[in-house]
Amino acid sequence: MPTYLARRIGQSVLTVFLTLTTVFLLVRLAPGDPASAYAAPNATSADLARIREQFGLDDPLIVQYGLFLRDLFTGDLGTSYSFHSPALDVVLDRIPYTVTLAVSAIAVTTLVAVPLGVWMARRADTRRELGANVLTIAGQSMPDFWTGVMLLTVFAVVLPVLPASGFTSWSGLVLPTATVAVLQLALVSRLVRREMTTALASSYITVARSRGVRESALTWRYALANSAVPLVTALGTRFAALLNGVVVVEVVFGWPGVGSLVVRALETRDYPLIQATVLVTATLAILVQLLVDLAYPLLDPRVRLGKAA
Amino acid sequence: MTRTPHLVPPPRPPSRRTLLRWGAFGGAGVALGPLSACAGPTGAPGPGTLTLGLNRSLVSLDNKLNQFEAAVTVQRAVRQALTRIGPGLRPQLVLADRFEMTEPTTWTVRLREGVCYSDGSPVTVDDVATALRMYGKVPGSFLLGLFPELPAVEATGERTFFLRTRRPVPGLDRLMSNIHITPAKANRPEELRSGLGSGPYRVVRANSGAGEYTLARNTRYWGGRPSVDTVRVRFVPEESSRVVALRSGELDVVDTLTPDSAEQLTGLPGVTVQEISGARMCQLFYNFRKPEGHPLADARVRQALTYAIDGTALVRDVLTGTAEEARGVVPLALQGAVPTGTYAFDPGRARRLLRSLGAEDLRIKVIWESGEFAGDTSVMEAVLDMLQDVGVRASLQQFEPGGDILKWRQGRGGDWDVIGNGYSSPTGQALTMLQGMYGGTAEKDRTGDAFMGYVIPRIERRLSAAATEVDDSERERRLAAVQHAVWDTWPSLWAFAPKTLLARRDRVRGLALQPINSYDLTAVRLEG
Amino acid sequence: MTTAVSAGRPSAVTARDLARATATSQRRGARFKLWAGAVCTALVVLPVALAGVLPLPGANAQDLSRRRLPPLSEGHLFGTDQLGRDLLSRVLHGGQVSLAVGVLAVLVSGLIGIAAGSAAGFFGGWVDAVVSRFLEAQLALPLLMMLLLVVALFGPSVTVITCVIAIAQWPEVARLTRSLVLVEREKPYVAAARVLGLRSWSVLARHVIPNVVRPASLVVLLLLAQAVLLESALSYLGAGPQRPFATWGRIISDGQDYITTSWWLVTLPGLVIAVLVVGVNLLGDGLRDRTRPRSRKGA
Repeated sequence: MPTYLARRIGQSVLTVFLTLTTVFLLVRLAPGDPASAYAAPNATSADLARIREQFGLDDPLIVQYGLFLRDLFTGDLGTSYSFHSPALDVVLDRIPYTVTLAVSAIAVTTLVAVPLGVWMARRADTRRELGANVLTIAGQSMPDFWTGVMLLTVFAVVLPVLPASGFTSWSGLVLPTATVAVLQLALVSRLVRREMTTALASSYITVARSRGVRESALTWRYALANSAVPLVTALGTRFAALLNGVVVVEVVFGWPGVGSLVVRALETRDYPLIQATVLVTATLAILVQLLVDLAYPLLDPRVRLGKAA
Repeated sequence: MTRTPHLVPPPRPPSRRTLLRWGAFGGAGVALGPLSACAGPTGAPGPGTLTLGLNRSLVSLDNKLNQFEAAVTVQRAVRQALTRIGPGLRPQLVLADRFEMTEPTTWTVRLREGVCYSDGSPVTVDDVATALRMYGKVPGSFLLGLFPELPAVEATGERTFFLRTRRPVPGLDRLMSNIHITPAKANRPEELRSGLGSGPYRVVRANSGAGEYTLARNTRYWGGRPSVDTVRVRFVPEESSRVVALRSGELDVVDTLTPDSAEQLTGLPGVTVQEISGARMCQLFYNFRKPEGHPLADARVRQALTYAIDGTALVRDVLTGTAEEARGVVPLALQGAVPTGTYAFDPGRARRLLRSLGAEDLRIKVIWESGEFAGDTSVMEAVLDMLQDVGVRASLQQFEPGGDILKWRQGRGGDWDVIGNGYSSPTGQALTMLQGMYGGTAEKDRTGDAFMGYVIPRIERRLSAAATEVDDSERERRLAAVQHAVWDTWPSLWAFAPKTLLARRDRVRGLALQPINSYDLTAVRLEG
Repeated sequence: MTTAVSAGRPSAVTARDLARATATSQRRGARFKLWAGAVCTALVVLPVALAGVLPLPGANAQDLSRRRLPPLSEGHLFGTDQLGRDLLSRVLHGGQVSLAVGVLAVLVSGLIGIAAGSAAGFFGGWVDAVVSRFLEAQLALPLLMMLLLVVALFGPSVTVITCVIAIAQWPEVARLTRSLVLVEREKPYVAAARVLGLRSWSVLARHVIPNVVRPASLVVLLLLAQAVLLESALSYLGAGPQRPFATWGRIISDGQDYITTSWWLVTLPGLVIAVLVVGVNLLGDGLRDRTRPRSRKGA
């Protein structure tokens, strides 16, 4: 177990590091000049040159990279060009909002998709199940920015019951959560349906049923428990993906998370901010994956970590 | 006496940031972070709270680097300058009670009796001197570009000092409204993230990453007591969301409206749209770096093209009446601006003139940066269509903020013919804007710093003569003449001065919007 | 497998039983999805393909006096936009690009995915290791951000956007192909081909790949749906071809400024995207259901 953990953490650190390096190079190869985004519209070339020097943008790429690595190990990710403050602080100001939205979206998805999937498995291939199936596909097929704007139109414009933007009260969480959840619903409910159909058809259920175990217990305690590992894996992957950016939904709802931040940072070529965002979100995402892996033995005692991998 | 923290965000549970810093990311505690910090059970603001919805993120309450107009309202509620630009774009005294030009290069200034910061400590001459020094050291500052030179402070008493310049700077009282004063000890040549101010409000909570601030009344304010207890500043990037949030009462004031939002909000119950002629000029400026012999190097071709543009339709239909077609080379709301001519729409004439000038198969590339002015994309797409109607093969290239447009502007990117550009005058003076746009010299343009390559020596000479003229009426006369001369060079394909627009809930009273797109928060009241 | 009950032999299975059998309802479900999917897809694809022929105003023809007319007015079925351009025409012309980008992206990602996936599955060893690491790394990257970055890097042309979407999608094909090839390479015909002295490359190319292309191509329609969504998300965020070119995402992001007064500017283009993607997804789903009728019983 400890060796397994060490190896996994090692791999994770390597992945984050490679991701960060890729991003470091890509943003600097892209056209655009952070100095001009930083400077005022009336800035002179001399101003720009001074800004570039201040940020070390004229150094050769390899020197910049070296300095970046040196600072990285001291926990310094540089000063954001557009916020004029430490990039990591800006990201940390924002990450709680993204985590909140991701948690809420995954919670709602789970609460709706699991019962729905179970129901679909038990009513497999009926007309109503087909209807539910088509509906979830429709949810998955709508562009997320459109779903968001539509929900906004209905619940904030036509019936002004929910706030349109930002997060100043809990009600502000409803529309973004709904938008994200609609997208995830189809994926998760189908997974549950597939796993549950398999589980309900297996022999241990038949045996249990023949011994008079109630149908509800069969479904929830026996069959669902056996589907836990793939379900948790899927939810974990979704969650990690959400942490990496609910970019579009955040933009639509003016959600002050890292998704809308990264769009802005990309536009203004705010290198330190882009790097800090990638570092934090990639770390979080990988951490979630790791936690999911570590949860397997708890969910299914047959699993032994490090044996299969 | 206990020192209350000002401008410093109140201490938060240390666990969040510290934990995160050390790499222990994740967990429910993180998720709950913003929730505990979020006030109010509903989205609607309380009776004593004024909520402002800005469309750009206010990253700091210091103005050394971030300078967009709406921020000024909030920044000045916390930090003040010696003067401010008041109604009618006239300078008003704030921290100073005397600010006079006693010699062409010397201004005599006296600090107001009893002005103090929100911790009770007095504002001193040294604070002013330090502030000027710190602003001077910030590279790339917009404000610095406005000053022909920074004045030197020479203390003459505890509250009195001279501001000296090498050459006359007639508008120094206006310019100094941009230098915000903070205690000398805490001032640094960078954007301050915390610190004291002498304004009517102090910061009780700040999340600069998300652009959210809460201001509370400064109980030690030296001036009159502001009427509103709490001001909340929110960053709402999507324009449509600002409209919706104002409709529902979630926001009290939204500033810098786009023409479309103004149209949507006009006439709604409970909402008032305020407008005033603006101090900003939006232009479709020609590229003045075209080689000799290129059609656009010929003022007659530049003039001929202007007949292709249906300015009336653009103002009425695209800008929905929220702008005024330019009648001069700078907005007429500015002090010293004079009308010099008008744009006319006559596509037939445009075709004829272009043909007679041998420029009928002209290609025009129009470039601009997203968000350069409100309604930019619609204006550009409409202009493209109008140019194509007179047989000009036109194309658009849109840049994202932070893209390469500055390089293009300086003639180091690619070739272009017309650029969409907005130019503000935070001093309220025509002179500042004229110098910025038309005061280019060959020397400046060696580094690409002449505005769009506009280098016309006779105009530059007359401008600098006017700039250092100390006599007010003579200066006005010279400025008027130079504006006519500029107009005759046909610098723009089309130009307009957008009105400054703001929408507020009806419960917000006493909001006096100024052309510089700012207002005095102290005067604002909440009713009902 | 469903065995047909021949009419001549006596059987306890009645026609009613047959109609209620799981296999029958599965088939019915698949048929319904195929039909509904085909109808939805055709509803969008046909007008888009015929956009040039239909009697419509030009996509960029402005009339500032007819701004934001509601649908069904003055011959504008979808109404007009903020510059008086015909919205239907813009949606259809924009759709040509979206669809072209989608189809090309799927082709490119399919080619890369099948090549890389089958090589990884067939040769194993270091080839497999390299391909698998790539697949993993891409999962860890913040996808949309990387795409925006690459578009910023090379400029928002149709080619770049196509390639970007292809890069985003190849892992899915590669993973599926790899798993299919892993099964396939153990089959006797592969051993036979080897015994006959064929080189590995030709075994893979001539015998294995033809056997996996069909099952692998089943994901193509699902990928097409994703590609269309991704393209519209990118142009919604501003990474699209230069103005005044219409793209679906841009029409919606421009229209968003008018949601309190002109609902159609966002609703109708979005509806068109949704109908198309639902259609393609249902088609893909129906095909999958039909070719793997017993998949639900198997693990």
